[in-house]
Amino acid sequence: MRSKIFVSTQLGFYYVRGETQVNPCIFMLDTHSIVISNLSKHYRGTSQDALRAINLKISSGEVFGLLGPNGAGKTTFFSILCGLIYPSDGEVSLAGMSIASNLKSIKQIIGVVPQEIALYPTLSGEDNLLFIGRMYGLKGTKLKERVQSCLDDFGFDQNRRQAVKNYSGGMKRKINLIAGILHQPKVLLLDEPTVGIDVHARKEILAQLRQLNQQEGTTIIYTSHHMEEAEQFCDRVAIIDEGQLITTGVPETMVSVANCRSLEELFLQHTGKKIRD
Amino acid sequence: MNRVIATCIKELKLLAHDRTGITVLFLMPMMLVVIMTLIQNEAYKSLNESGIPVLLVNYDLDSLGYAIERGFAENPMCDLTLDHGEQFASIDKVREKVLHGEYLIALIIPSGATERLRTELGQMMDSYLDGDSAISVEQAFSQVEFQIITDPLARESFVMAMSSGLKEVIASIKTKVFFQIVTSKINGVLGTSNEVKFPDDDFFVFEESSAAAGAAESYEPNAVQHNVPAWAIFSIFFIVLPLAGSMISERTTGVYVRMHTFPGSYIMILSGKIITYICIALLQFLIVLALGKFLLPLMGLPILHIGTHWGALAVLTLAVSVTAVGYGFLIGTVFDTPQQSAIFGGISVLIMSALGGIWVPLNIMPEHMQQIANISPLNWALKGYYELFIKSGGWAEIQWQVLKLTLFFVLSVSLSYYFHKIKRSLA
Repeated sequence: MRSKIFVSTQLGFYYVRGETQVNPCIFMLDTHSIVISNLSKHYRGTSQDALRAINLKISSGEVFGLLGPNGAGKTTFFSILCGLIYPSDGEVSLAGMSIASNLKSIKQIIGVVPQEIALYPTLSGEDNLLFIGRMYGLKGTKLKERVQSCLDDFGFDQNRRQAVKNYSGGMKRKINLIAGILHQPKVLLLDEPTVGIDVHARKEILAQLRQLNQQEGTTIIYTSHHMEEAEQFCDRVAIIDEGQLITTGVPETMVSVANCRSLEELFLQHTGKKIRD
Repeated sequence: MNRVIATCIKELKLLAHDRTGITVLFLMPMMLVVIMTLIQNEAYKSLNESGIPVLLVNYDLDSLGYAIERGFAENPMCDLTLDHGEQFASIDKVREKVLHGEYLIALIIPSGATERLRTELGQMMDSYLDGDSAISVEQAFSQVEFQIITDPLARESFVMAMSSGLKEVIASIKTKVFFQIVTSKINGVLGTSNEVKFPDDDFFVFEESSAAAGAAESYEPNAVQHNVPAWAIFSIFFIVLPLAGSMISERTTGVYVRMHTFPGSYIMILSGKIITYICIALLQFLIVLALGKFLLPLMGLPILHIGTHWGALAVLTLAVSVTAVGYGFLIGTVFDTPQQSAIFGGISVLIMSALGGIWVPLNIMPEHMQQIANISPLNWALKGYYELFIKSGGWAEIQWQVLKLTLFFVLSVSLSYYFHKIKRSLA
C-alpha cells in the first residue's frame, strides 16, 4: 500500500515510500482545469433537486474522486460533465470553455468510461476499439497501432479477436477503459471503473490509470463506492449526498482532521448509516 | 464522413455476427418467394393454362348439343370432359362426381332439346304465315330445362360467368335454327329450294388489348410477377426487426451513452446506420429479383419480367427501402425493449402486408378490402412494381407511389425525432 501525505494538491508535493516527490502534472499549465459553478439539476416530475449549487475546481492533472451513496447525484454530475444532459442552472467549463456552448470541441478532449460495459458484445474487443477510435477521428495505421499498443499494455493477446461477450468481467472492464483512453484525452471521466471485478484486475486498471495520469498528465475524475480504493488512488475527493457537496479535500487530510480511522468512516459520518436503496 | 463510414462498417460487422438477423433478412424472403410462388403458380395455372374441370353431358346429340360442345371445347378456360350418356346415365351420378371435386361444374343438355327448339320455332312461323298475329313468343315456346351442377366450393362469380357463357352459346344456336326454319318456310311459300348458309363467324367481333402504357410489352399476371415483388417488399419491411432491435440494444446499454460522448453530431452516427440498412434492403431486393430471374425458371415457373425502366425501378426500390428504414427507426424509438419492438414491428408488418395485397393479390380481394389496402405502404410499393413489371409503366406511372412512400418516411422520422425528444426530456 502506498503511503502518501499531501501537503497541497495545488503545490503538487507528495510522499511515496519515504521520498518527497513532485507530481510533474500539477506543475503543468492549468490548461484543462474544470470549473464547476453553482451547478444544479432538477428532473421533471421530481420534487427534489438531483444536484444543488455545486461549486468545484478540479486542477489539470489531478485525480479527483467523487464519492457518495446511491442516489446522491454522482451519475447526474457525471452525465453533465460528459455533455449527456444539460444542467438546470449553473455552468461547467473546461479549460475556460463552457461545456454548454463548446460541447463539440470539449468532446474531443474528454474520454468517458461509463459504469455499464459500453461495448458491442458480439464484436471482438479489437473491433470495438477500432470503431470507437474511428469515431474519435483516428484512422489508418495510427489507429491500428494505438489499438494494438493499448491492448498490449492491458495484457490482451489472441483473445483480442474474441467476442466481448465471451470475456471475463475484468477483461470487459479493461476494454471499456481502453475505449475511453484510446484517443488520449486530456480529461478522463470514469464512472465506477472497477465495479464487479476481482482484486487483480482492479489493481491492474488502477496502475494503468495512474501511469496515464503521471505520464500524459491526464486529469481523471472518477466515481466509486470503494472508499479504500479512492483513498489510495485520488489526489482529492469530494463527498456529495442528496445533490449537495458535503465536503472536499485531500483524503488523508480529511480523515485526520475529522479524527477518523479511514475515509470510509468519514464517509459514513457525513452520509449516515441509513440504507439508501 | 469518416464517422459515417465507421458506423457502416460497424453495423455490417454486427449483422455478420447476427445469424438470426441474417436469416430474417435474407433466407426467409428467399424461402417465401419460392414456396409462395410454387403454391400460387398452381392456382394461376388452373385459371390460365390447364383450365377449369367441366363435365358436359350431352343427351341431345343434335345441333344444339353439338354447338354447346364446340363452344366449351374452344374455351381455353375449360378442361372439358364430354359424355353422351355412356358413363353418366343419370343426373345423380353427375352430382356425385361434382360433389367429390372431380369437376367444378357440370352441364346436362336434355334429350331432344334441339328437336323441341325446331318444333316450337316451326310452329311459331306457321302461325305467323297463317296470319295468326295473336301468337306471341311466350306462347310459342315451352321451356327446355338445362341442368347446371356446381361444386359448393366454386365461386359464385365463376358460376355466373359459366351460365352467361352457356346462354350466349344457346342464343347463337337458337338464331341459327330460327334462320334455317325461316329459310325453309320462305322456300315453301316461294316454291324455291335456295339454301342460305348462316355464317359461322360472328358478325360482331371483339378485339382485346391491354390498357397498359406499353401495351405491346405488358405481361400476363402470374405467380412470379406477383410473388417476386410482393415478397421482396415484405422482406425489405422486415428490416424493421433487426434495425429497431439494434437501436434499442444500443439505447439500453452503455453504448448509447458512449455514442453521445463521441465528437461530432449524433445525426452522423444515425446516418451511418440508415445508409447501411438501406444498402441491406437494396441487396435483399436484388437477391429476390435474381431468384425470379434465374432460379424460379429452373423450377418450371415462369421467368420474371422486370420491364425496361431501370431508372424508375431503382427510384422505387430506393423509396421502399427508405420507407422501411424510417418505419424501423420509429419502432426503435418508441419501444423500450427488443421484445416489444420485435412483437409490434413483426405483427404490424404482417398486418400491413396482408392489407397491402402481399399474401393475397389485390384483384381477388373484396372491394371494401381493396379500399382499405390503400392505407398500407406495402400496397403503394406493390402497385408501383405492378406498374413496372406487369403494365410496362415508367416514372410517370410510379411517381405518385414514390411520393406517398417518401411522405411516409418523412412522417416516421419526424415522429421518431418527436418521441426521442420526449424520452430525453423525461430522462
